[in-house]
Parts: sequence; C-alpha cells; structure tokens
Amino acid sequence: MNLLMRRKLINRIALTLSMGAMLFGLFWLTWILWTVFDLGVSGLSLNLFTQMTPPPGASDGGLLNAIAGSVLMVTLATLLGTPIGILAGVYLAEYGRFNVLGQTTRFINDLLLSAPSIVIGLFVYALIVANTGKFSAWSGVVALALIVLPVVVRTTENMLQLVPNTLREAAFALGAPKRVVISKVTLRAARAGVVTGVLLAIARIAGETAPLLFTALSNQFWTLNLNEPMANLPVTIFKFAMSPFVEWQQLAWAGVFLITLGVLALNIIARVFLRAEKLN
Amino acid sequence: MDIANAQLEFRNFNFYYGKFHALKNINFRMARHTVTAFIGPSGCGKSTLLRTINRMYDLYPDQRAEGELLFDGRNLLASDIDVSILRAKIGMVFQKPTPFPMSIYDNIAFGVRLHEKLSVAEMDERVEWALRKAALWEEVKDKLKQSGMSLSGGQQQRLCIARGIAVKPEVLLLDEPTSALDPISTSRIEELVDELKKEFTIVIVTHNMQQAARISDYTAYMYLGEMVEFGVTDELFLKPKRKETEDYITGRFG
Repeated sequence: MNLLMRRKLINRIALTLSMGAMLFGLFWLTWILWTVFDLGVSGLSLNLFTQMTPPPGASDGGLLNAIAGSVLMVTLATLLGTPIGILAGVYLAEYGRFNVLGQTTRFINDLLLSAPSIVIGLFVYALIVANTGKFSAWSGVVALALIVLPVVVRTTENMLQLVPNTLREAAFALGAPKRVVISKVTLRAARAGVVTGVLLAIARIAGETAPLLFTALSNQFWTLNLNEPMANLPVTIFKFAMSPFVEWQQLAWAGVFLITLGVLALNIIARVFLRAEKLN
Repeated sequence: MDIANAQLEFRNFNFYYGKFHALKNINFRMARHTVTAFIGPSGCGKSTLLRTINRMYDLYPDQRAEGELLFDGRNLLASDIDVSILRAKIGMVFQKPTPFPMSIYDNIAFGVRLHEKLSVAEMDERVEWALRKAALWEEVKDKLKQSGMSLSGGQQQRLCIARGIAVKPEVLLLDEPTSALDPISTSRIEELVDELKKEFTIVIVTHNMQQAARISDYTAYMYLGEMVEFGVTDELFLKPKRKETEDYITGRFG
C-alpha cells in the first residue's frame, strides 16, 4: 500500500510539472496569437490586396506588391528546392544508406538544416548579389530554395526509411528493377509524408526575413521582374514595423496576420492530407 | 528417396551471411507441380533457403551463395543469369501481406507490365484470371479501383498470391504465408495451394507442422543450417529415418 501511494504521489508530481510546462508554453503562444489577431484584423481591408505599399503619411495603401512578391518567390523557391530535395532524399534512403558518400551527405544536410537563415542570406549575397552588383528577386529565390532543400531531403529520407523493407522485397520479387521499385512503390508509399514535408518547408520560408534582406531586398513598387529587387511580406513587415509612421505600423500588423494565417492554413492542409492518405 | 525428373536441384549448396555459415552443404531435388515444405525451428535456415531460389539475397551485399542451384538444368547462381527474368519465372509471397499502395487492379497489373506488353482487354483478362486463381475474384470484382490496402489481411495475402501468379511463373515460393492470418483465412490459403499445384511448383516455409503435413508432397526438416531429412511428407511424418526429425515432429524438441 505504501508503495502504491508513493507511486501515485510521484505520478501526480510528474503530471503537475509537465502540465505546468505545457501551460507556460501555451500562455505565450496564445498571447502572441491574440496580439497578432487583435492588431492584424483591424488592418484588414480590401485596400490591403488591391493597393501598393504607400509612401509615409499616405492615408490609404496596401500590401499588394509585397504579397505578390512573396507568393512568387516562395513558389519558385519551392519549385527549385523540392525536386532536388526529393532526389537527394531518395539517394540517401535507397542507395547511400550506409556508404561514405551517403553518410557525408546526411551529415552536411543536417548542418544545413540547422544553419541560421541569416548565414544562408549572406552566402547568397556573396555568391550572387556581390557578383552581379545588384539585389534581385532570383537571388532571394535561391536563398529560400537553400532553406527548403535540407528540410525536403530530411523528410523524404525519413519517410522512405519508414516504408517496410518487405514492400521493397515484394516488388523486387516480381522482377522489378530498382528505379521502378522506388518510383512506383516506395515513393508512392511515402507520398503523404513527403508532401507534408514540402508543405512544412513552404510554411518555414513564408516568414523568413534574414535571407531576403540580403538578396531580394524590397521594392516600393509593383514588379514581377526577377532581375529587380522585389517587395515581399517579411522585409516589408520589418521595415514598416520599425518605422515611426502609424499607417505603416498598421500595415505591418496586417502583414503579420496574413503570414500567420497562411502558415496556419498550410499546417491544416498538411494534416488533412495526411489523414486522408491514412484513411485510404 | 529420389526425384528423377527434377525442376529445381540444390547441389553442394552453401550460404553465408557475411562470415556466418547459414546453410551447410544442401543437396536435394524438387519435382515439377509438387508442393515441398521446409520445416524446422526458428533460425534453422528454412527461410534463407527459400530466398535463395529467386536470388533475393542479391539485394544485400554481405550475403553470398556457393555451389549449384539448378533450375531446369541451368545454374541460377551463375553471374550471367538475368535476375529480373528469373524472378518472373519464380514468384514469391511473404509472411506479412505486402499490397502495394495502389488499386487492386494495379497491384496485379504491376508485375505483368514489367514483363509483357498487353492491350487493355488482355490485361483485364489477365487480372481476372489471376484473381480467380487466387479465389479472390468474387470478393473484389466490383471494387478493382479501390486501394489494395483496404482489404482484410486474408484478402491481402490472396491478392499477393494473385499478383505472384499473374506473371505466370513456373515456381511459387511461399514464406510462411499464413503465419499472420486467422484460421479461416489460413484454411482458404491451404485449399488454394492444393489448387495451384496443378499449374505451379510450390515451395512453402512453415512453422506449422500440421500445415506441412496437410498440404505438402515432400517435406524437408532443417536444423542449424543443415537439411537433416528430406522425403515424402507422409513417410517423414509417420516414420522418420532420423532421430532428430522424430524428436522435432513429436514435439520433444523445438
């Protein structure tokens, strides 16, 4: 009996501690979300999606150029980083699981995964911006793609490793060559996980500021020219939030709200997609 | 006991996992359109032996075979054998059902497409033929587009058998095909084996001695990588020649 009470007591203490930790984390998260919602919603209007970023002091103005720039650069970065990432992940899981090249690549990919994004921004600055002599949207695309890449490599590899080996053997036992086994069977079995990884990578770069600060910079005007500096939400938010103008600060909050909403939507889509695949 | 007209024959066959000598000097023959069962305690090498017949070990660089494994007189261990063609002639079904993440129809068509170019009508016919042979057609004919993963465990295993025979192999290797199934599904698969041996040579690994006795023509008892005894199933179970075999099948050991 004494032992049972002791066990119950320890259980209660552990439960209290972990509940406390959970509440502590949740408290700040709710506060942040509430602030974003509170200050962001009041800035929402049709102008936000139809007008360019305004000069200081103007009473109207929106974020159209920044929204378009962000969508364009994030899309291109995803299109650039995803195929390379999936192919590299396939190599790591299916060909180089134990060899030296595979292990080295895996190690370097882990480094890249945890590299601060500002380092990646500076790298692309030195590689492209310094050499071409100007800030451009496509250098921003490269920087964002470099952030997408390791995330996709990692998730693709992990998801392929979760595919049971008997499934591979079953496909080989029918006389299928390795490329068919991978493309038709294992990648398909891991599809939900790989897509989720890509969605989470998009969510990650949607709010990245540092890499764009050194590459795409920003632009007050509308442009879809990849050789020019391009407006984007994170840098615009950074610029506007630091400014002394109330209208700019209001737009910054609205931009923050939009990004938060976008990331939330991506996470929900990822979850719904995963669940649909599981039910299938 | 000798099988005069052998389809498969092991001669001085040895197998290694790295340095570990897993199969020691195996010699025996299997005749066309018979069922041969491998029995023995866990780790005795019966699955290893089965997996050499379609050269599954090729996937793992540290595994190697020595000696001869003759299939219609040709040595399968020779380096000039095309493994893909070999595996079209020797199909395999695994312990756990392994449906591919695609529709029931595509599960069957997958292997066929690898080796033959069929028209849509011919493919439909082949899929139906294979599913009928595996006694699954009546249960799935209205949902061929559904995922193969949506079937029950027993149905999935029959789907895997259908997938294996759709390629029209000569030999079917079954690696403990019923160990993950309930008794009803098990007996359906056993009936199926009886039916299939009219057209295919079947080699089955089983943990279940009653199963070996029920469905096989020949049985091999293996222990510690050696083939202790090989013979006609009824003789091996009723009057085994070796003391070790008798101990195992009477449950005194194993």
